[in-house]
Amino acid sequence: MLVFVAAALLPALYWDQGVSTANAVKQAGVERLYVPPDQVAAWKGQGFDAQAFHPAKFVKVPPPGVEYKMDVTAATSAPWVDSNGWRFARDGSHTYYYDVPWRKAALAPAEAYANGVAAVIHPDARDLTRFGKMLAFLKSIDGPALPAMANVGIIDDGSDETGEVLNLMARRNLLYRVVAAPDPTLDLNIQIGSPDFSKEAAADPFAFATLVRQKLTDEKRLLRLYGSDVVLGRLNGDAAHVRVHLINYGGGKVDGLRVRVRGEYAHGTLAAFGVPRVALTDYAVSDGGTEFTIPTMDVYAVVDLKK
Amino acid sequence: MPGPYPGQVARVHAAKCIDEQSEKVDATVVREMIAQGMCAITGDKDARDSWARFFTPSDVVGIKVNCSGAPGIMSTPEVVAEIVRNVIAVGVKPEKVWIYERFRNQVDSVHYDRFVPHGVNIWTAEQSRGSIAGYDPGTYVDVNFFGEEDTRSNLARLVVDPLSKIINVPNMKDHGAAGVTGCLKNIAYGSFSNVARSHSGFKTNTYSFIGTLAEVEPLRSRTVLQIMDGLRGVWHGGPFSFKRKFRFYPKEMMVGTDPVSVDRLLLDVIDNKRAAEHASSVWDRSMANVKPGWNYDDNPSINRFIREPGHIEYASTLGLGVYDIGKIQVRKIEL
Repeated sequence: MLVFVAAALLPALYWDQGVSTANAVKQAGVERLYVPPDQVAAWKGQGFDAQAFHPAKFVKVPPPGVEYKMDVTAATSAPWVDSNGWRFARDGSHTYYYDVPWRKAALAPAEAYANGVAAVIHPDARDLTRFGKMLAFLKSIDGPALPAMANVGIIDDGSDETGEVLNLMARRNLLYRVVAAPDPTLDLNIQIGSPDFSKEAAADPFAFATLVRQKLTDEKRLLRLYGSDVVLGRLNGDAAHVRVHLINYGGGKVDGLRVRVRGEYAHGTLAAFGVPRVALTDYAVSDGGTEFTIPTMDVYAVVDLKK
Repeated sequence: MPGPYPGQVARVHAAKCIDEQSEKVDATVVREMIAQGMCAITGDKDARDSWARFFTPSDVVGIKVNCSGAPGIMSTPEVVAEIVRNVIAVGVKPEKVWIYERFRNQVDSVHYDRFVPHGVNIWTAEQSRGSIAGYDPGTYVDVNFFGEEDTRSNLARLVVDPLSKIINVPNMKDHGAAGVTGCLKNIAYGSFSNVARSHSGFKTNTYSFIGTLAEVEPLRSRTVLQIMDGLRGVWHGGPFSFKRKFRFYPKEMMVGTDPVSVDRLLLDVIDNKRAAEHASSVWDRSMANVKPGWNYDDNPSINRFIREPGHIEYASTLGLGVYDIGKIQVRKIEL
């Protein structure tokens, strides 16, 4: 039986281009927005659900994306993904504010929505249409929110070092939740400073995430992604239904992403932003896992799995 | 692999197969080299009978070319065209012949389409670098080398379906990580995704990974013929050929079914050439000679990695062929 809780909040627009742009905003499909305080009445007069934007009410987060760092020698050519997922996992109770550069107006709302947090997005004015398309996509897939799935618990001391550990674990698609004390229902619990997870080890968060992965084992991972270094995933679900969120931070399309979800699900459906009439391919259920391929995806794709 | 002629290699040398200055290839000489090589390996008098031993009209034939050094060095179009001509002569329709490689941009630079009959397919697994859409999701080797997230290397879809036979056409090249790149590396790393991760650090995993991939079915059993194109070679800086000063001209082709035996002979070709050029041996494992960056590109005694020419002997332990030089029967032909 599905546990129905409040539907996920759709990201809101912060728009400071003046009420003369109202038609463009309407055409983008935006009905609710934040505007400078002195413009609230004018926007309401145009039929919008307008609220005053006060920066102090929000927690500002960096724009998501990817850095390729071609000039840095490393053991891997995997790019550096700038994701806010770990921040939301640490504390998702705020409303977050993204001030995003040109061509990032779809990624930021997708990231916020996938992580189940309230957010206000300030896009470049040239990105209004793309923001509107993402908003329309999120509305089309919106439904009762399901709990976030995780099988790793980590006790967060609030330090910068632990924050970077959370970041690296999120980037490795190690699905965790912050816990106050070890949770015996989880496959692995992490307390930095314990014999298994020393503070010295945590000083190298990349290696620490590798250590976590080794101790968890790949067989127990809830989610595996093959074929991209720039797609991060999240799972929401219950015993019968899982929603897989796939966020592409890379800026280009990803073709042929292969996904493995722990658990056997007989049915899967795909919705992919900007890619109409696309379906899962090479669907396979075996050995306690469900695998499928996303033929092509833009910024965001959602897969719903059912037993 | 190793097929019906384990431990047997035909080596055909022809001084006039390529002009060293212009790099113009004589297709007539190439035709004779391949015909003589096929007859030598099978014992047939007529090369058409030799080709018919391997292929029937019902086959779907893949030709695994090597374009990683293109346009400086690659499976020579005239060689590939001659192979295609022989396969079609057996009765295989052009539409059932597939020239394949991993990367589209490399193959496009060669223009095989200008050399082969209309209808022959030219296929690449990755239209855009890194996409695994062209690989079979159900056929893979799963191995974690250094903690990388994507631990799978998947076999090209084409190999799984529709190919029934594959002809492997590597070049004679040095390889910074593997020591040399010949039959084994061309068929293995050239048919699977996500393989560069095996040489992302100075100490690579090429020693065991090349053979491990080559023995995966159906790749192993469908690769029935090895035709090593040594018209040109690369003695340093491979698999690429950015600088012509590291190219040389063995003017030789090796034909067989045993990839290990052919590669064992290749080891000596490359190492002897490196010795003649006063470069370090492919067997050199000194960390003093391993330098990061592009230093290797100008100095043939600087290595990018610790080379692993032992990957060929390792492949022999998997049953892929005969490595012992004393047990390899070589038939030398001079044209």
